[in-house]
Amino acid sequence: MEALLSLSNDLASAVERAAPAVVAVHARRRLPSTGIHWRPGIVVTAEHTVRTEEDITVTTSDGRSVAARLAGRDPGTDLAVLRVEGLTSSTASLGDDAALRVGHMVLALGYGPRVSWGVISALGPRWRSWRGGEIDRLVRLDLVLYPGFSGGPLVDAAGRVVGLNTSGLAHETRLAVPGTTVSRVLDELLRQGHVSRGYLGLGMQPVRLPDPLRAQLGLPGDTGLIVVTVAPDGPAARAGVLLGDVLVALGGEPVRDLEDVQAHLGAGRVGAAVTALVVRAGARAELRIIVGEQPRRRA
Amino acid sequence: MSATATAFSAAPLDSAAAALAAMLARSTVEVRPLARGASAGAAVGAGVVWHRDGLILTNAHVARGHVSVVLSDRRVLSARLVARDLERDLAALVVDATDLPAAEIGDSSALRVGELVVAVGNPLGLVRALSAGLVHAVGRRAIQADLRLAPGNSGGPLADARGRVVGLNAMIVGELAVAVPSNEARRFVREQLRP
Repeated sequence: MEALLSLSNDLASAVERAAPAVVAVHARRRLPSTGIHWRPGIVVTAEHTVRTEEDITVTTSDGRSVAARLAGRDPGTDLAVLRVEGLTSSTASLGDDAALRVGHMVLALGYGPRVSWGVISALGPRWRSWRGGEIDRLVRLDLVLYPGFSGGPLVDAAGRVVGLNTSGLAHETRLAVPGTTVSRVLDELLRQGHVSRGYLGLGMQPVRLPDPLRAQLGLPGDTGLIVVTVAPDGPAARAGVLLGDVLVALGGEPVRDLEDVQAHLGAGRVGAAVTALVVRAGARAELRIIVGEQPRRRA
Repeated sequence: MSATATAFSAAPLDSAAAALAAMLARSTVEVRPLARGASAGAAVGAGVVWHRDGLILTNAHVARGHVSVVLSDRRVLSARLVARDLERDLAALVVDATDLPAAEIGDSSALRVGELVVAVGNPLGLVRALSAGLVHAVGRRAIQADLRLAPGNSGGPLADARGRVVGLNAMIVGELAVAVPSNEARRFVREQLRP
């Protein structure tokens, strides 16, 4: 039974290694959530668990209670960043989330520490959450996220933090936001308090393009997006996009659905020009749109 | 890494787990309502052979009224309830037998959060089924484990990776298993069964 014993010891050691960077975040009534001491004085947690922006405190793994200030939040990736002065506990030791494989044994930690055990059940490419956030990799977990576990670390068998667990990005399934995404969003939140996303100011709906029209105009795909709303004075309106235009390409690439459009609207695109190819009154028209920034709604 | 290499490296773990399951199953009993009338038969819980000379520990909520126990060698023995503590949810049964395969009892205060634990019991009528998980949190009066239990696990052993019994499974709270620590059970035996 030596093999089992050494696995057991390794798992307990992994918990001990990761636990000092795990904190309780008190930013909602009743049940605290979990946070990770990501960098000195910086704690990251799940955005959906931050229900108040004032009087937030964190409790460290050694039981001290410290005041925290919300530095920024991004509902899209379900991440919130707190500044906590006088946080002396050690920061998370970060692992390489690119090295994760389906079947790897992983742990989810909650403040306490409390622990849950499982495996990586599926991995996928970059994806967009239902709240519009860009997440570098889909990491699906087969484990139980107990009450209060959202915002806590996903820990590999060596005790390194490879992601942040949340129940806020999907129903029924357990997901982790990979560490790469956490670091990227955290940088942006610390710099400007929010994550900017590109914005055209258009409402569109997919339509099938008639074959004769495609042939006549030499259009790349068989579907386009018909413009059904144009935000007044929005980036597209300023570029001259009209109601009823059918968008068929952006930046020279065909667009078939809204996902294709979103792919052109990442954070880095704000302020950049993109060429839109539209069909208007049976003819091709090219318009140059300066990508704007998504107006922010209060979470 | 090739699939073959992965399978080979996991093999020692598999056989270790099988050995652990077999060892623990020997010291686990089924607890049944005493066969009298048509309602008798199905296991209501499990128990741990605490001492080779016939002492069996289970939960107080399992040992209600007259019960019989089924040993791992399939012997069915009628049991005498000698002590019951509702607050700790522990009960002591004595059967008329010697040389029983007693469990090795571990020290629950030495448990580390994250270490492997296994449970054996009769969940939903399955006899001596195994489930595996981790220590989720440790308190003086209860061990919480990230481990799937079902009714019928009650009174059965929670054991560490060496097969030492560190608790008696008592409850399911949310999705967590809650066990009475072995040190509480030792105290119970000491207090209630003073020679």
